Amino acid sequence: MAASSAQPQQIAITDLDLPQLSDVRRQLEEELSHLTNSFTQLKQAQAKFKSCIDNVGEIKLQNKGKTILVPLTNSLYVPGKLSDPENVIVDVGTGYYVKKNRSQALKHYETKVDFIRTNLETLQDTIQKKQDNLNYLLSIIQSKLQAQTQAT
Amino acid sequence: MSSGSIFTEEKNPRGIPRAPFIENVEAHLGGPDVEVEPTLKQFQDALAKYRYMDANLTQRRQGLEEKIPDIKKTLTMVEYLQERRQGKSKANPFEDQGDDLEDEDEDEEADGSKEPLKTTFELNDTLYAEAELEETDTVFLWLGANVMLSYSLPAAITLLRSKLALAESSLRTSIEDLEFLREQVTVMEVNTARVYNWDVKRRRERRERGEAQGSGSSTKEIEGT
Repeated sequence: MAASSAQPQQIAITDLDLPQLSDVRRQLEEELSHLTNSFTQLKQAQAKFKSCIDNVGEIKLQNKGKTILVPLTNSLYVPGKLSDPENVIVDVGTGYYVKKNRSQALKHYETKVDFIRTNLETLQDTIQKKQDNLNYLLSIIQSKLQAQTQAT
Repeated sequence: MSSGSIFTEEKNPRGIPRAPFIENVEAHLGGPDVEVEPTLKQFQDALAKYRYMDANLTQRRQGLEEKIPDIKKTLTMVEYLQERRQGKSKANPFEDQGDDLEDEDEDEEADGSKEPLKTTFELNDTLYAEAELEETDTVFLWLGANVMLSYSLPAAITLLRSKLALAESSLRTSIEDLEFLREQVTVMEVNTARVYNWDVKRRRERRERGEAQGSGSSTKEIEGT
């Protein structure tokens, strides 16, 4: 028999019987999929902020007065000139838009990217732990099944 | 044997066949001793087709419902640009409701032939920048599938209007078709139920007749001996 209670639970996993074990397994799998979803979403958000950083880089001083196609709606573009390459307007959430100059905007986005990165790392650790728990549980289930089939 | 196709020639304007309501199950099947299996299978096939069409139409309708507000916005914008080009009139500041796409501030000069329009445009989801719109007769329309064409202002307005009309009529027909389909699905399901019930009744009658005959013949045998 495997060693009991390597999990943060009071009951030894090895003492649970099969239906309960499959319940626990299902619960773990749900949590795992939820966490993985969150991880994917965070990654997407991070990619978006990174692209914002690139975009800010495009509004360089040398582009002032250059003709650009200005999007007015999703499918309408009008030729225009970049009038203000020093400032950009950043959506800082909850309906607030702040006009920052380029370096401030860059810093803002980089902070966001870093914040997400730390969250991602923590999330990654949690996912790993859950995965390990799940694997351990699966091996217990296996051994129980075997013991059962041998007994019958 | 039941007829080849259960559909009559009736179709709705878009070619969806109408499901016939079967008044007399026996007459439709063609006799009291006919197997119902093929008929039931036909009904199930028809139902599957209807459901598939339903799914398609629902998808199309959702796509259209998304596109239509977008086309409306684009049309309004182009009409506004046209107005500015034409009029030296004082146009009111234009405000975009709902989506936080952009804010437009109008920079009006006294008797300007050049009235640059300052606008904030979207670079990214959370990033906007300022630009000045040139005076131009041409707008660029994104038609999708990596295609963008330039149009003169009046041509753009015509195009957008026709797109909007097409989308709206398409939406209307989709909604009509969806309602029609729902009716036909109900009719088919009722048909299936009726044929099935008729079959159950027939089986029961057969069994009862069989038992009556069986008891009848056994009585004869007793009498015979």
